[in-house]
Amino acid sequence: MKATISAALAATTALMTTPGVLANGTAWARYDSGAISGLGARNIGSATMSGRVSAVSAVREKNGKVTIYVGAASGGVWKSTDNGTTFKPVFDKQPVQSIGAIAIDPSHHDTVWVGTGESWMRNSVSVGNGIYKTTDGGETWQYMGLPQSEHVAKIAIDPRDGNTAYACVPGKLWSDSPDRGLYKTMDGGRSWSLVLKGGNLSTGCSGLSLDPMNPNVLFAAMWDFRRKGWTFRSGGASPTAKSDSGLFRSADGGRTWIEVTPAANKGFPAKPYGRIAVTIAPSNPKIVYAFVESTHSALFRSDDGGKTWAQRDNSQNMVWRPFYFANLIVDPTNPDRVFKPDLTLIQSTDGGRTFSQVGGGAHGDFHDVWIDPTDPKYVIAGDDGGLWYSHDGGNKWWKANNLPISQFYHVSVDNDDPYHVYGGLQDNSDWVGDSEYPGGITNSRWENMFGGDGFWMFADPSDKSYLYAESQGGFLARINRHTHQMQLIQPQAGYKEKLRFNWNTPVALSPHDPDALYIGAQFLFHSSDHGKTWQRISPDLTTNNPEEQKQEESGGVTVDNSYAEMHDTIYSISESPKQAGLIWVGTDDGNLQVTRDGGKIWDNVVGNVHGVPAHSWVSWVQSSPFDAGTAYVAFDRHTYGDEHPYIYKTTDYGKSWIALVTPANNKGIRGFVHVVKPDILDPQLLFAGTEFGLWISPDDGGHWAQYKGGDFPDVPVRDLVVQPRTSDLVVATHGRGIWIIDDITPLRHLTAAVLDTDVAFLPARPAVQRIEAFGGWAEGDASFTGPNPPDGAVITYYQKSRHLFGKLKLDIYDSDGKLIDSLPGNVRRGIARVTWSMHVAPPRVPPAAAIAGNSAQGPRVVPDVYTIKLVSGDKAYEQKLDVALDPRDPFTLADRKAQFAAAMKISGLFERMTDLDYQIVAVRDGARVRAAKAGNDAALRKRLDALADKADAIRKQIVATKEGGAITGEEREREHLDEVYGAINGYEGAPTGYQLARVDVIARELDDTAKAFGALRAVDLNDVNAALKAKSLPEITVPDRSPAGAGGMQGAGMFRDRDAFFEHD
Amino acid sequence: MHARMVVFTALLGFALAAHAVTAEDLIAKNIAARGGADKLAAIHTLKLQGQMIFGGSFKLAYTQWLKRPGKLREEARLQGLAQVQAWNGHQGWSIQPFGGRRDPIPMSADEAKALAEEADFDGSWVDAKAKGNVVTYLGTEDVDGTNAYKLQVKLKDGNTLVVYLDPDAYLPIREIARRTVNGAPEVTQTDYGDYQQVDGVYFPFAISSGPKGSTPDNRMQISIASAEANVPVADAVFAFPATVAAEQGGEP
Repeated sequence: MKATISAALAATTALMTTPGVLANGTAWARYDSGAISGLGARNIGSATMSGRVSAVSAVREKNGKVTIYVGAASGGVWKSTDNGTTFKPVFDKQPVQSIGAIAIDPSHHDTVWVGTGESWMRNSVSVGNGIYKTTDGGETWQYMGLPQSEHVAKIAIDPRDGNTAYACVPGKLWSDSPDRGLYKTMDGGRSWSLVLKGGNLSTGCSGLSLDPMNPNVLFAAMWDFRRKGWTFRSGGASPTAKSDSGLFRSADGGRTWIEVTPAANKGFPAKPYGRIAVTIAPSNPKIVYAFVESTHSALFRSDDGGKTWAQRDNSQNMVWRPFYFANLIVDPTNPDRVFKPDLTLIQSTDGGRTFSQVGGGAHGDFHDVWIDPTDPKYVIAGDDGGLWYSHDGGNKWWKANNLPISQFYHVSVDNDDPYHVYGGLQDNSDWVGDSEYPGGITNSRWENMFGGDGFWMFADPSDKSYLYAESQGGFLARINRHTHQMQLIQPQAGYKEKLRFNWNTPVALSPHDPDALYIGAQFLFHSSDHGKTWQRISPDLTTNNPEEQKQEESGGVTVDNSYAEMHDTIYSISESPKQAGLIWVGTDDGNLQVTRDGGKIWDNVVGNVHGVPAHSWVSWVQSSPFDAGTAYVAFDRHTYGDEHPYIYKTTDYGKSWIALVTPANNKGIRGFVHVVKPDILDPQLLFAGTEFGLWISPDDGGHWAQYKGGDFPDVPVRDLVVQPRTSDLVVATHGRGIWIIDDITPLRHLTAAVLDTDVAFLPARPAVQRIEAFGGWAEGDASFTGPNPPDGAVITYYQKSRHLFGKLKLDIYDSDGKLIDSLPGNVRRGIARVTWSMHVAPPRVPPAAAIAGNSAQGPRVVPDVYTIKLVSGDKAYEQKLDVALDPRDPFTLADRKAQFAAAMKISGLFERMTDLDYQIVAVRDGARVRAAKAGNDAALRKRLDALADKADAIRKQIVATKEGGAITGEEREREHLDEVYGAINGYEGAPTGYQLARVDVIARELDDTAKAFGALRAVDLNDVNAALKAKSLPEITVPDRSPAGAGGMQGAGMFRDRDAFFEHD
Repeated sequence: MHARMVVFTALLGFALAAHAVTAEDLIAKNIAARGGADKLAAIHTLKLQGQMIFGGSFKLAYTQWLKRPGKLREEARLQGLAQVQAWNGHQGWSIQPFGGRRDPIPMSADEAKALAEEADFDGSWVDAKAKGNVVTYLGTEDVDGTNAYKLQVKLKDGNTLVVYLDPDAYLPIREIARRTVNGAPEVTQTDYGDYQQVDGVYFPFAISSGPKGSTPDNRMQISIASAEANVPVADAVFAFPATVAAEQGGEP
């Protein structure tokens, strides 16, 4: 067998060290998602900041519970069946995660329609691909079409017929499209007809309301809108420019429509319009509310089903940013009670005449509200900070702390142990969190450090007390992480100058100077003193197109000039780790600039990139950590309506570019690219984050596979970073928080040759015995906790196919060749991982009234080199495993060995105790069995009973025997030994002198007990056996030892003949 | 081709592929793959022995007895104490001895359903109609890199199982159970592997189970070391015990 193992190992090693052996055109044929996703991934959240909720729908069930569906802006659909105590993501297997609308069939609550693609059309909005439906409460979903819709604002279901539904589709944000308007299906979604279309290719449906009492009556709001990289319009290009927005009414189920106009409908405002929200009061369909964006934006109300209208509220929170907040929710039991989501939530109780701010302590930037028709005081609302519950009609709010739908833009890590994760989020500031913490990464392990929308964030590499954090428009600060005192360090404009900082302004640290950092406006700024002073080290690196700098005119009907439309800006910065002063800069208007002398000379090399249209947004440029002349660039053209991936590479400082991923050859990558980065150790390993997930290439961009490990969904990946000490890949998703793929070392060794082998070990980072510690506290079930890394040595191997037949196990041998553990294998295809806890078998402990809890686990092995034997059917493979101490341990290896030796000494003591107990029980029970058979021999029975009682009395010095499950306080030698075992095993440094002394004391006590039993054997047992012998009865024998399995996890020996009792008919 | 059109086409392709097979075909292939209906029916009792690991490092000896029709008992033993769960065909019960009590306690009807389902070692999809179960083919789905056939079994007891069959071997590789316990949903994922024959019938010797979404370290893993078919097993083994001593070997 040994020879077989060695041969297999040699073959594996040979294959692993000759990566080119199969590196031909088909060598990577086995490289796919299944091959790599077994690395796993863990979501560390957080849910404390949560993220934007774009749609909320709920229903009170017959059993009184409330079923809630939450649509995340870019984090899928979450369902709760317990009123929000727990949520499960139910949409994760779908190819898009942006949610615009959710509708529950009122007559069949397990039928739910989801319109993908959020309709709150901010600059960072994600996209969908149509309509989905479940008929089993979200367990399975059917795709129901409208693939070009991209965004869905509302879905309405005919209460008379669940197969009839309407989908209100605004359509594409960034480009013309005929696939927009109001769609209707009458066959459950199998086919759709466009029943209301806009007057041009930029007008779609933004609002929809159906009369629940006469579902043939419905109102639809049409919206003319368009976003470009540098401008946005809701309505026409200016407040008074022509717009095709309008409000329409149908009384025949959408066959014909009549526009609501001021001429025909008294009181309705004059055109042009921007976005309109409309809703019919469910309890009185004659009452209709419409928020209309116009030069005099306001709420309007009709009391006659839409024939005539009257203006109502026009306060700031009614009219503010209609593209983001055009929604109205009327109490289903009270037509005069209306919610309008906005910067804060406002509520009217007088039919819209007046509104009060009721957002209370919620985050703000509300989008949707659900009111319980059976208890209208119960309100659920979604905003940019997540989900909120009110039980007082919408005044005070509980926060949902169990929705990890946070939308990170960027991520970085420090080198602490455990390292921290830093990042900024959409409307949720900049946070620092733990990558690992005893008890798990709870919400409280994240700390907010800044404000606004968060973007780049770094630990200051030269001073651990400080960090850098950024909000929108390059608002950069250096912050004391202990006091939170901040100093704003954004570079300032010169005389009559305007600096153009992007919404997502790039900030970069220098890999050569821990005091230095860069920030980009249209110029590149460099500071070598933590932002105290700045030097401009470039001219304007953008196209500086005046037509793209008219942000003060942006907004359409309602001016909206945040930094979101700032354009002709630097968007990506990367200084070469290999050459100081070699800096790459990408701009949002399509320039790709490089300097090799710290900014004296800049070269715009974008013209050398072939196949990318001019002015394409450079979403990411990344210099190689391996070669000064090498860099990667990604272009994101979704702002031109082109959602294809573009990734290029240069090896000659940008003179020429290799197309790695293009629309014509996307290599399986789906969606526009946000980030492309090489690994920090393996130049062949590339990572790309797109709007629809994470892709990994093993051969420098030749082949790609989507990473789906740990149920990682098809969520936007905006940034990623490899932690250098741990080799963890830390991924910033825009919608599902931070995910960590622990230790990507195996990916660095997943060659084409390995992929073609049946089974092969893959190298991993050194196995460290992380400190085993307790932390956290009970938080109930309504709080998110991110998992820690696996607690043990992670063994990684590759299997060409899923293991199905025969045994798959990992046997662990110590350096003496002794088998110390055996683990079940991981059967999955591709990379597979198994965690070895590194604990030896627990002591054998004599049975007693209850379990000896501390002794249920053996001590951890001492650091050493161990041998792993992977047994797969009739084949075996070997690999060495080097186990080390945790560098944080405050003790030496010698201390650690002393602790292990002490624990094993106690194990030996338990062993003695188990044997002794077994012998005593043999005498006790042997006597009792014989006593029961003594018949009329009263004298013999009395002697046997006396012997049994004496044996039992001795045994009761060893083990606690009071049953009943109460706290008996009964402690005997076994319980005392378990206690000191727990104390020694719980800390892996050298045991204390008093602990060792305690072990010796218990050993003496056990000796005394053994002597007592010895005396019993020598006198009482001998006498009884003599009497038995005299009567030709079988003597009582005492076994030398307990059976091998007794007392440990086997326990079989303690059941004696019980199994025989079981197994008969 | 537009990115989303690719998706749509892929979904269309999936839909077409889904029509190529039926639940009946898959059930027949599963039965054949396991060894055939006759061999399966010839197994009246089954005794499985091995070990159970939970929390990554706690190991217990494990034994399971199964007996037709629909009886099950499983034990996890540590330090001479046996934690027992059993279903006698009508009632579920357990013994939880580790805290000091060794008297049997009845299970709630909801909790016992999982045992009753497990007791059907033919598989709930075999003779489904006679059992009152409804099987639906749901297409294929990726299971850790394997594109598995997906069968939904709506059980007579109100719970739902989704069984994923290996596309080549037609043996279950994963099962998602959706159960309602005390009015609350519980979703459990169980992965199967290490199939070995027992009297000509394949049974999984590796079983990994836990709440759906739990990390591998938090799942319960059962490794079967030996299996015997048609071992005589008394019905009393599954019945609510009359005495404690026989269940726990008379200790202490």
